[in-house]
Amino acid sequence: MEGTKRIRFVAKALSIVFLVCIWTSAALAIDNETCMECHGDDSLRRTESTGMKASLYVDGEKFKYSVHNINGIACTDCHADITELNMDNEVPHAVNLAQVACQNCHEEVAEAYANSVHKKASHKGVTIPCYACHDYHDTARLAQATVSERQNSFCLKCHNPNKFHDWLPAKENHFALVECTVCHAPDVPRHVNLRFYDLIDNQFLKGDVILRHLNTSQEEFTALIDRDGDGTINVDEFEDMVLMLRQRDIRGVFHGELVVDMEPVVHQVNRGAANRDCSQCHSATSAFFKDVRLTFDMNDGSVASYNVDRQTLQTYFVEFNALGTTRVRLLDKIGIALIAGGVAVVFIHLTARLLTIPLRKRNKENA
Amino acid sequence: MSKEYVHPAPVRVWHWINAAAFVFLVITGVQIRFAEMINFLSLEDAVRLHNWVGFLVIADYLLWYAYYFSTGKIRLYYPNLRTFAADALKQAKYYGCGIFKGEPNPHHMTADNKFNAMQQKAYVGLMFIFLPAQMISGVFLWQVKGFENYINMLGGIRIVDTIHVLLFYFFATFMFVHTYLATLGHTPLAHFKAMFTGYEEHH
Repeated sequence: MEGTKRIRFVAKALSIVFLVCIWTSAALAIDNETCMECHGDDSLRRTESTGMKASLYVDGEKFKYSVHNINGIACTDCHADITELNMDNEVPHAVNLAQVACQNCHEEVAEAYANSVHKKASHKGVTIPCYACHDYHDTARLAQATVSERQNSFCLKCHNPNKFHDWLPAKENHFALVECTVCHAPDVPRHVNLRFYDLIDNQFLKGDVILRHLNTSQEEFTALIDRDGDGTINVDEFEDMVLMLRQRDIRGVFHGELVVDMEPVVHQVNRGAANRDCSQCHSATSAFFKDVRLTFDMNDGSVASYNVDRQTLQTYFVEFNALGTTRVRLLDKIGIALIAGGVAVVFIHLTARLLTIPLRKRNKENA
Repeated sequence: MSKEYVHPAPVRVWHWINAAAFVFLVITGVQIRFAEMINFLSLEDAVRLHNWVGFLVIADYLLWYAYYFSTGKIRLYYPNLRTFAADALKQAKYYGCGIFKGEPNPHHMTADNKFNAMQQKAYVGLMFIFLPAQMISGVFLWQVKGFENYINMLGGIRIVDTIHVLLFYFFATFMFVHTYLATLGHTPLAHFKAMFTGYEEHH
């Protein structure tokens, strides 16, 4: 009996400790809704020491779809110096908060960034924090972004590429189809994104729509298209996929764009790193076009990618023309046949002319 | 032997500028298309040169156009539809057979009747279809973004590129055959000489 009493006592004591812990942590956790009670008001501003008014508004809708919110990161995970709110004060937390330390989570990115022209600018007194490029609260996933979206949200905020690329032939075309970091972050892996453009509706088709037309799913797509199971969609398999879409009255072309992989090393952008050797890209064996991916943008914001044989770039299914790189080999075969035919006719005619010299001499003498 | 002035100065200027430009365009075109195999020019220089020389060809074409239309000499290029088929056949027979026997050329070149029926046919196609198509596709490829709408109207960049490349092979072949055909005068160099002096010699 004595033992049972002691067990009951310990159990009660532990329950009380447990409840106290739960209550304390609940009291300490500041949820996003609490923050948004004030920061969801678009008129919320504060006056800086310079006299300028700075907005303290956070667009809840944008934040909802930001990569951080999607991954369950709360306001106070980043603004970690807010540990409690005192609602009796006009501002319930410290007015001047510490700078958000992105590097605490993004260690590899911080390492790559440390060796970049943007970080080095701090020697000149220019500080470029992460959010200067990535924005504060609506940091979005970039996998679905096109080259123009990627550039507009980042490099073009500060840089005017027209100032420095006059040497580049067809520069507008490069700007439209090649992400800046493909050249300016030379260590980052790159790939060609192929997206299906519907020529009837004049728009890029979402992956969900394409998969529905093919009567398949993300998981079963590979088994349906990559019949030889080598993990890469070759030219014949790609052609079959296009035919399957045509049978369902889906007509279009695959638009190509040269983009970088979302690797930390993309932050290692340095002055003079890009070179002017055009043949680095514009040759059929260029490493820049080794990795080709068929990309389906899904409605939930994710991306489904499938490896494609680079030779597909040399077909008419793909609307992507990089001089030399994407040349259609059939045209060269036709061209060589044309030249060989011309040479053969000339050679035969010349030979006949030479062999018939005596005949002409005889005819002239007889005339 | 008599001489006849058949190639007026503007025609000769146009012809030799065009010839030199075509050689440059073929060389730089090969460099651009086969950068991984050939390396006698940097790709940047090849593209730049190709663009400039391309515009020279366009300016030269305008010279040809202005001269031939303003003087009315463009009639030289119009085939006589009634005699065209028979003349072309006669000319083909000459090149395929008669020339070897030493028979006279059925076409007598004069200032007013410069081209034989086969030349007329070839040059009408060249000057009014192939060369303009090559120039227009070239200009489109020079500024793909700027001419995006026109390119899309033609079926996209791959189609425009295909036209340009096929015509590139055609013109490369044409230059070779054209040079050979130019040796078929009364002496192998007679037509070359005439294209410099303007005077064709008649036997």
